[in-house]
Amino acid sequence: MANNSIKLLAPDVHRGLAELVSKRLGVPLTDCKLQRDPTGEVSFSIGESVRDQDIFIITQIGSGEVNDRVLELLIMINASKTASARRITAIIPNFPYARQDRKDKSRAPITAKLMADMLTTAGCDHIITMDLHASQIQGFFDVPVDNLYAEPSVVRYIKENVNYEEAIIISPDAGGAKRAAGLADRLDLNFALIHKERARANEVSRMVLVGDVTDKICIIVDDMADTCGTLAKAAEILLQNRAKSVIAIVTHGILSGNAIKNINNSKLDKVVCTNTVPFEEKMKECPKLDVIDISSVLSESVRRLHNGESISFLFKHSPL
Amino acid sequence: MSNNIVIFGGDSHPELVNRICENLDIKPSQVELGKFANGETSISVRSSVREKDVYVIQSGCGHVNDTFMQLLILISACKSASASRVTAVMPYLCYSRQPDIPYTAKGAPLVSKPRNSLSSTSKTNDENTTTNQSKILHNGVLQSTNTVNRPGSEFPFKSLDNAIRSSIQMEQPVPVREPKLAKTSSMSRIPVIPDGRISRGANNDAEELFNAQNSGYKLWVVQAGTLIANLLTTAGADHVITMDLHDRQFPGFFTVPVDNLYCKPMAQNYIQHFIPGYKDAVIVSPDAGGAKRATAIADALELSVAIIHKEKRSQLPKGPPDATLTSGVSLSSKPLISHNSVDDTINSNSNQVPVLSANGVATEFANSNAKSSKYIQTTMLVGDVRNKVCILIDDLIDTSYTITRAAQLLKDQGATKIYALATHGIFSGDALDRIKLSPIDKIIVSNTIPQERTIKKLGKHRVGIIDVSLVFAEAIRRIHNGESISMLFEYGF
Repeated sequence: MANNSIKLLAPDVHRGLAELVSKRLGVPLTDCKLQRDPTGEVSFSIGESVRDQDIFIITQIGSGEVNDRVLELLIMINASKTASARRITAIIPNFPYARQDRKDKSRAPITAKLMADMLTTAGCDHIITMDLHASQIQGFFDVPVDNLYAEPSVVRYIKENVNYEEAIIISPDAGGAKRAAGLADRLDLNFALIHKERARANEVSRMVLVGDVTDKICIIVDDMADTCGTLAKAAEILLQNRAKSVIAIVTHGILSGNAIKNINNSKLDKVVCTNTVPFEEKMKECPKLDVIDISSVLSESVRRLHNGESISFLFKHSPL
Repeated sequence: MSNNIVIFGGDSHPELVNRICENLDIKPSQVELGKFANGETSISVRSSVREKDVYVIQSGCGHVNDTFMQLLILISACKSASASRVTAVMPYLCYSRQPDIPYTAKGAPLVSKPRNSLSSTSKTNDENTTTNQSKILHNGVLQSTNTVNRPGSEFPFKSLDNAIRSSIQMEQPVPVREPKLAKTSSMSRIPVIPDGRISRGANNDAEELFNAQNSGYKLWVVQAGTLIANLLTTAGADHVITMDLHDRQFPGFFTVPVDNLYCKPMAQNYIQHFIPGYKDAVIVSPDAGGAKRATAIADALELSVAIIHKEKRSQLPKGPPDATLTSGVSLSSKPLISHNSVDDTINSNSNQVPVLSANGVATEFANSNAKSSKYIQTTMLVGDVRNKVCILIDDLIDTSYTITRAAQLLKDQGATKIYALATHGIFSGDALDRIKLSPIDKIIVSNTIPQERTIKKLGKHRVGIIDVSLVFAEAIRRIHNGESISMLFEYGF
């Protein structure tokens, strides 16, 4: 019987998360090489045999060159497939195009579905992702999708870093109410809701607060922070309603466009993101940023997946 | 034209889209192309496509991953908006040519870096289609290259070889190993005389490290052809129209029909009308893989042919058996055949290879640089070009190493005027600078890829553009009406 072991692959940019996972698992990253020609075409090679191995490809897709990262990932998957890997698991903590998940107007593309089709076409056998924008996206795939939650790690962060007896959990929009309520339940806290009327993507209009935040530390919880306009506005409204202070915890800190400027100018004390998205460079420009490391969850899920154990434990608990 | 047709253009080549639409006498349909703040592509389709015959035109140029994703999303959007058929029109199909060796940052294939300071400063350093050779360029810069890349560029079997490899899902890794040896996918065909000692020295080339760590494993590079084909069909393309695919086998990767149009009729037309004295010209193929392409044009125009052939043979120092080597006059400074043969035995034998000069510098270089391989690298010209107008024919020009080197060789061999004709002018990196310095008198490319930069850089008189919009428009018209398009293959338009 051939031995079947874990092989970790990562593209050459944004390897931070992959390196953390590799360290935790004690499995070195497999040598591989991505080369781009000036137009952006990618060629890829794997430095060792992956025949009959259990491949995990870890990629951090943030903002900017999303399409480059996607094509690189697809080519890496396909390369592993054609190299006779036994199983290929793509670890995409921040699933790209997750917000294009429905036909919200005529002839709008459902790009999330296209992404799912493309990943399976390339030869992906399993997807691990985290806090999908809509968990229904799992249904777009023909292969198993493990949607991990950052919640246990967030709970730990709050317990360790915030005086949480005085805190209240805020959902910045109605869609996130369930997530916020879940977190509030876990911490035994109250929660409040900000209702907003969105005019266009990446733009915020009027906001209304539902609930009482007087003299509380407000923790805004969301799955994604893009330009941070919403967060900044929400912080203002909360402070207008006599909140003591406001911090924001988001899973995917995409922080594109004017995000850093918005955060620096906002009344937020802190913006905490998980490291599903690479934002190390942005931390230098913005002292308000803080990071929650979720590599432990990912590495544990890799280990469990490889050994055929249950992953649902990780939905409630955050391994150290 | 029936009102059942809808044409969308991506943002890669709006001019071609407009020209095609002009020829079809319809307007391109409204589509809003943009990006979200986080870099994801956003598209909104402004006109109805229900039960329409949709054509999406996007060339594989610019920032290819972005343009390709845009194409996929646009196809997917049309498909999910109930279009009856979606045809992807890709004048140049990106990822249709994948080298066997990774690219360097400059875009040239990765090579083991020569330790010679001269050559490492040389810009014209690596080359796209040759293997392991050290030679003196016309500017006297010593250089070393080893690589191979484009399928079909070196051995006649290679394109076939590649296609087979891709179609059998690459079970055979492309062997690319000891950086000091020639790295070529056809290496298995070449008898290797092993020489235990490979000097690794201070050469910190990533690939070398790479291989040193994994001595039992041969580095190979994935060929993305099948993947690209599958992605297009997954997105919902029912039909693909493209032009002059690098691999003739590429349509086999698709499960949907692919119409590969040819630029050849237009190229012939151009030669007949715009190249003075073409009747005495010689058609030259810059590599053996393109010989068929060149001979087809030569046959049609009844011109003579010459072929530049880069060959790597094992050490046995017999002359190239059936090569006609024209002239060795200019050899002292510009060797027709140079070699990177590499151990002393070969160097001492090298003078037995006809017309092969173990040039002083080259020998020194070979001695210092590569003690491991027993290959002789030869570049030879088969055919007579003296006092003739030469027309170099290739399907695409990317880094332009091949074409400029070929042009230099032709000039050295006494060609009077050199034209270079290719379907796809990608001109990545500093390709245009290289062409500017080269003896190429005029470069002729089609407008499958925008050529404004080329004209700006080389000046109008040195660039000829072949307009392919008419043939694409005609193909779209015929496909829409369900007529045969095979006439376009023969006569163009």
